[in-house]
Amino acid sequence: MTNVEEILWNYIDGNCDPEQQKAISSLIARDEVYRIKYQELLKLNGEFSAMELDEPPMAFTYNVMEAVRAEEAKKPLIATINKRIILGITAFFVVTILSLLVYIFANISWPAGEISTRMNTGLQMPDLKNLLNRPVIEGFLFFDLVLALFLFDNYLHKKTHPKHV
Amino acid sequence: MVQSKLSDIELIEQTLTGNQSAYTDLVRRHQRFVFTLALRFAKRREDAEEIAQDCFIKAYRSLASFQGQSKFTTWLYSIVYTTAMTFLRKKRLDTDSIDDENTFIQIENQAGAYDVNNAENKSRSFYLNQAIGQLLPDDAAIITLFYKGEQSLEEIGRAMGLEANTVKVKLFRARQRLKEKLERNLKHEVKELI
Repeated sequence: MTNVEEILWNYIDGNCDPEQQKAISSLIARDEVYRIKYQELLKLNGEFSAMELDEPPMAFTYNVMEAVRAEEAKKPLIATINKRIILGITAFFVVTILSLLVYIFANISWPAGEISTRMNTGLQMPDLKNLLNRPVIEGFLFFDLVLALFLFDNYLHKKTHPKHV
Repeated sequence: MVQSKLSDIELIEQTLTGNQSAYTDLVRRHQRFVFTLALRFAKRREDAEEIAQDCFIKAYRSLASFQGQSKFTTWLYSIVYTTAMTFLRKKRLDTDSIDDENTFIQIENQAGAYDVNNAENKSRSFYLNQAIGQLLPDDAAIITLFYKGEQSLEEIGRAMGLEANTVKVKLFRARQRLKEKLERNLKHEVKELI
């Protein structure tokens, strides 16, 4: 009997090749044992297909999304900051350092003559005092302050206005 | 509740760009099935809710690793399966054995007691749900995945870490057991009425 059921379930599931399908179809038509069993399994198959899914509690979606939001909030700040901002800050410092180096090397007056391994005391360094005067330092600090406030505002904005509805 | 018309893949793409409402739609779309599947393993609604919630959080965490080579549902159900198995393993520390069918006889008897008090609510689908609840978790999950999860034998195999042929054999046995339990419950009911 088990064998009959196995054959018929395969037939119902559509797991037979066309030849087998044809053979089983004629078997069902000819043999009453197969026909009765087939009707029984077909009915069961219909009932299994019509079974209802369980409904989760009303607050399920809300609870999941709350957990997801908590998960997001746990992420380190570096991951939530836009990568462009990080790249911008990096670029600013790289450009500043490079400009400073170019300026320094351009203003060095190299002594002519043979290269000595001894330290040349006659090397003339540019006067950096003119560069690092009070307005420049104040401007630099002001820029840092604005940048810090901008990042902090961005962080608070993300925290208080998440993207979900 | 209005369901999103976007496909699963489109909702995933939107979620990955930071749109959490897209993930809300994804959860709404699949929560009934995930919850039902979790219930097949856990049997208690509270535990099933915990498993289902855990699954959606895990899925959110690893959404970026979803390659799209299989259906999203197959990927999601594999998470449900592993989460549920971990849950049952933890539970096994407190109970004797989850594979022991005797464990479920208690549930069966409880369901029987419930029957007598709610005779008017009984229908064929009620008995079917009751019979599924009496099956072993693997049997109940395979039947649910096959009939309600729109999963092929290969996809069920991928979700459960089994070969498609093994799934076919397991599905056949699960259907037989379900049929037996359904018949037994119905006979019991007829006796009650007489």
